[in-house]
Amino acid sequence: MPTIGAAPVAAATVVTLSAEERQLLEAFAEAMLPTEGTPLKPRSEVPIADNVARAFSLMEEPILEQVRIGLKLFDLGAVLIGFHFTRFVNLSIEKRLDYIHRWEDGIAMQRGIVDLLKKLTCLGYWKDIEAGRAIGYRGPVSVEGGVPNLGNAPMPAGEVDR
Amino acid sequence: MSEPLPVLKVTQPSEIPDAGLDLRADVVIVGSGASGAVTAYELSRAGAKVVVLEAGPYVRSTEFKEHTPTAFETLYQDHGNQSNTTGDLLVLQGKCIGGSTVVNAAVCFRPPDQVLENWRTEHGLENLSSETLAPYFDRIEKNLSIHENEPYEVGYNGRLLLEGAKKVGIPASPTSRNVKDCALSGHCIAACRTDRKQSMLVTYLPWASELGATILSGTRAESFEVNGRRITAVNAVATEPNGRDKPVRVNAGLVVVAAGPIQTPLLFQKNKIGNSSGQVGLNFACHPSLAVYGEHDHSVYGWVGASIGAHAGDIENPLRGGYLVESAMAGPVSISSSVDGGVGRDFVEFMENSKNFQAAVTLIHDHNVGRVFLDGDQKQIEYDVDDRDFESLREALRGTARMYFAVGAKRVYLPTTRRTTIESASEIDSVISSLTNGKHKYRLTSYHPQGTMRMGADPTKSVVAPDGRCHDFDNVYVPDASLFPSSIMVNPQVTVYGLASYIADQILARG
Repeated sequence: MPTIGAAPVAAATVVTLSAEERQLLEAFAEAMLPTEGTPLKPRSEVPIADNVARAFSLMEEPILEQVRIGLKLFDLGAVLIGFHFTRFVNLSIEKRLDYIHRWEDGIAMQRGIVDLLKKLTCLGYWKDIEAGRAIGYRGPVSVEGGVPNLGNAPMPAGEVDR
Repeated sequence: MSEPLPVLKVTQPSEIPDAGLDLRADVVIVGSGASGAVTAYELSRAGAKVVVLEAGPYVRSTEFKEHTPTAFETLYQDHGNQSNTTGDLLVLQGKCIGGSTVVNAAVCFRPPDQVLENWRTEHGLENLSSETLAPYFDRIEKNLSIHENEPYEVGYNGRLLLEGAKKVGIPASPTSRNVKDCALSGHCIAACRTDRKQSMLVTYLPWASELGATILSGTRAESFEVNGRRITAVNAVATEPNGRDKPVRVNAGLVVVAAGPIQTPLLFQKNKIGNSSGQVGLNFACHPSLAVYGEHDHSVYGWVGASIGAHAGDIENPLRGGYLVESAMAGPVSISSSVDGGVGRDFVEFMENSKNFQAAVTLIHDHNVGRVFLDGDQKQIEYDVDDRDFESLREALRGTARMYFAVGAKRVYLPTTRRTTIESASEIDSVISSLTNGKHKYRLTSYHPQGTMRMGADPTKSVVAPDGRCHDFDNVYVPDASLFPSSIMVNPQVTVYGLASYIADQILARG
């Protein structure tokens, strides 16, 4: 019998990013998230690619396969689609941003892939609690604030004859 | 010295013998979310021996991290990655003991009268009038401490929405929620660490357990033993964290499938049952939701206060283009992934300024144009926004922008996949009118899948009868949101609780 969706509580398979994937994620983040000279937590101090690898490890295999194809298309697309004759990762920051904008204005598949890369970058960076605190977000508060658990609500009175 | 907190008695896969379990019960319920939990309690209350099978893990509230990415990984279906086939709509559902009630924003609405009237006239549901259902909703509201947010619970973000709505003439009010002594952590969608949200995890499930119900976590229903018009047993697999599977069989006189609007039809399809109407998995709707931010010159801290403090919109007219706007903001992952702030310096400034954002999400009544099915062993959720519904989405965006500018926003960010802003109130119409429907153009999220096991009086056009029983069976009931004949626009949990309570009564009346 086939199963429905992911196994419910099985431990995640550890997914390792290829060198090309890691390069792409880092090059994309460098263009999207220039933290230098800003109050944001330095990008170099957040393991963006590792956090994305963790996200990959939680994806179902067919989805992950599609994601990986999308990343490859984006990176290599710069060679011909972008007429840069080199991979995205080798472009200057200015050209990377221009390339990103052209994919944003492209066909549905291009829009989907570039949006995926943005979301992966966001997840990889903002997953870091201290990155959030740098922009004023509080992060977890209840334990630090000593807020007590209320526990289960009592069963409604008078609903059961016991 | 404080007493240890009460916990829920749950049988976890590691506690099941390698040979598995073979259980006998009066009732087996697949799913422990809104409808499964209510059904478990109501039938246990009547003296039935109940077994609940939940595919997701049991996570105690003291283990919740108040960190949305971690919650996605541990408490959500597909670890928060569930999406439509196109890949541009995130479909969020809880997958844990308590289901989506553990990770929802605690928002409570009764279904609009217009929706129930439509169900009566279009689907023959004469029995589901507002008057008939009122006592069920009354009781649910009492049991779950549902109340309109007190002024102190509505953060500044919510107050801005109320003020803006008043200025432009859109009805608005503080939102009702199922919370008790809310600590205002703002972490509802990452699950309530301190048990303030009255989810099924801390209410109906422990009550059912106290009355003798057996609850199994990590146990996925796989197949049914069918004998004519009856299902006589449910076969499931309990999976340990190390991947080891153990068989679980539950023999029961009554079967309740409450696995939610995605899993319930898939379970039926996989087993090729209950589909004489051909409607199983069809008529999927999901309230495609959009986030909208309004940037102010001063701090708003939209994440402070109740996750959803207030709402605005014409909620009594969902079928005539009405929409709902709910003040809402979560953490940086959600902020950055629900609206495109651009790339490079634009993006950095967008995030730096996010504490100045007024934030809300929109909800609409969408048409049941989607379907859920298995492609081999892979789940597919086929749904793209219909052109008719896109008009409603645009109206919701237009109304939200008007409310934002009315209270001094200097810029509005729209949820497109390429950064789109409205720089002044005078630009609203031109910018909104320029938006067109299409794939991967918007960052869409569904928090409310529904409608794949449509309820109706006509067995040739519906899967579930007006009393909640599957037309094709004598002893199988479906009480979850999959039975909604149409989308309801408002957050569905109260509707589900009410219908599950009503259906439990129909089960008991049938004997």
